[in-house]
Amino acid sequence: MSSQTVAVIGGGPGGLRAAHAITEIGGQVVLIEQREFLGGTPIAENYAGLTPSGEPAEPQIRAMIEAVTAHPAADVRLSSQVTALAGEPGAFTLTVAGADGDQTIECGSIVIATGFGHFDPGRETQMYGYYEYPDVITLPDLEAMLKTHTVVRPSNGEPPERICFIQCVGSRDRHIGNEYCSKVCCGVASKEAIEIRQLLPGSKVYIFYIDMRMYGYWENEIYWPAQEKHRVQYVKGMITEVLAKGDRLLVRGEDTTMGRPMELLMDLVVLSVGMEPSAGTRQMAGVLGVAQNRFGFIDAVGGPLDTVSTSRKGIFACGAALGPADLEDTVSSAAAAAMKAFGCVRANATATAG
Amino acid sequence: MTATDVQSQLAGAPAPADAHYKLPDVAGYPDVPFEEKARLFEEITNDLRFSDYLYGCYECGICVAVCPSARFYDFSPRRIAQAAAREDVELIYQQMQEDIWECSQCFSCLRCPRGNNPGGIITIMREVAVNNGLASAKEALAGYSRIIYKIMSTGTQVSPDMLQPDAFPDWGPETGDVSANLDLWRRALPPETMHTTTTGWAVADSTLIELYLIWLHTGALDMISDVDASLHAILTELMEERLEDEGIEI
Repeated sequence: MSSQTVAVIGGGPGGLRAAHAITEIGGQVVLIEQREFLGGTPIAENYAGLTPSGEPAEPQIRAMIEAVTAHPAADVRLSSQVTALAGEPGAFTLTVAGADGDQTIECGSIVIATGFGHFDPGRETQMYGYYEYPDVITLPDLEAMLKTHTVVRPSNGEPPERICFIQCVGSRDRHIGNEYCSKVCCGVASKEAIEIRQLLPGSKVYIFYIDMRMYGYWENEIYWPAQEKHRVQYVKGMITEVLAKGDRLLVRGEDTTMGRPMELLMDLVVLSVGMEPSAGTRQMAGVLGVAQNRFGFIDAVGGPLDTVSTSRKGIFACGAALGPADLEDTVSSAAAAAMKAFGCVRANATATAG
Repeated sequence: MTATDVQSQLAGAPAPADAHYKLPDVAGYPDVPFEEKARLFEEITNDLRFSDYLYGCYECGICVAVCPSARFYDFSPRRIAQAAAREDVELIYQQMQEDIWECSQCFSCLRCPRGNNPGGIITIMREVAVNNGLASAKEALAGYSRIIYKIMSTGTQVSPDMLQPDAFPDWGPETGDVSANLDLWRRALPPETMHTTTTGWAVADSTLIELYLIWLHTGALDMISDVDASLHAILTELMEERLEDEGIEI
């Protein structure tokens, strides 16, 4: 470990991709993860399938983990948290609190890959009754059910017949303060809707939305099949509240394109919760002294053509630590950050040798 | 709240399950049980063409933007596609009793970016409405009984003076005048217009026989059995007699 090493903080898809990329181009990397396992949110939150392909998430993420842990140039520290940063670009010293007490890590540059957290629907949007009704769940709650191939109503263990997704929960809302679009929820909800229709062919699945945002190939990879093949019902109009009615849930909103108010009974209501900076992202911004934007994500200061540089030289960020990102964005920006970080230590090595 | 809502509440009757649909007493057509509406919808979706006419709807409204009827009537091809996509059995029934007859079947709505064909859905809905003798179909076709009779019995077109003059008020007041003196109008035109008001052109016997067989075998004639029973009976008899004369057994 030396100034030739790149430190990657966070062992989710972004951190794993960045660490692997550095080993691929002949660098040394130390990967620091606060959990006792690698894989990040997809593993911690039991993701069933990747969006948009729907292929099982766990084997894919396991393969990423394997690629890093099996590489001799990668030093993985689990259950470890960065608590302090000293030095300067090219010669940083990180203090890391782990199971065996504090340790120091010498490194030339740093990649922050601390990701996001799911918006907690209980905090601001109590009206949807997430903490009140057992049959109101979130996208990750449903994802975990889909992983075991059993979608049931938590209240009675029965398979639901009528299911709806409410989009933009915790996103695009001035009251909540999250004015941004969380980017992935339209695709994830549609993917989950397809999976429910496959699992429960007799079910009726609705998605209530403000705009559907499945840009690029997600349009014909998820949106069209969801609508055309799996008969998922997309209704433009936000749900204002969820009420208990008998043992079912009444959702109220406007069917805007039909120009009429609507009240529909549901067995299961899924809140498409958006992304917020993870606790780790907020913490690392403080410890490493990099600027955050007003939403708490790490600020990318380089403009549209440099998506990974932070306010501090030698420190880069990737994936959802920078803001809402899907897995495709995440691995792309992770590779970009790895290249920048590696370039940093190489420039330093050349300067030292010269 | 509509007057009907108030009435039903005053009468202690339960409020309508869904206030968006017209109640039978204001709708202008008889209500039928939900199961019957569902059966009609199934007849629409089971049509071989249906899956090519409806993929998924963006609800973008481009079909309304290009629709000539939408400029003049309270009519929206988007709502037709939407109702079908949403499997909204109640609304589809309402549309079969009202909206579908506002369409001019010009198919401008094929502009749909998803490749939908709202006009085609309407074609199917009309056929189902006719086949099942819906009130709207009877009303819409009332002015056509002479046309149907003429086309099916002679195998050729009709001229305007064969129409019931009061059946097409949207054609304007001149229609009556023109029809009344059609022969004169036609003679006033320099080009040859086949000064006839009985048939457009002669139809060969063999062609007519073939047409009768087509009307009878394809079920085209039976389509009107519910909509206009007497016309159906007249045409059936006429065709069967003619075929019998030709020595053709049906």
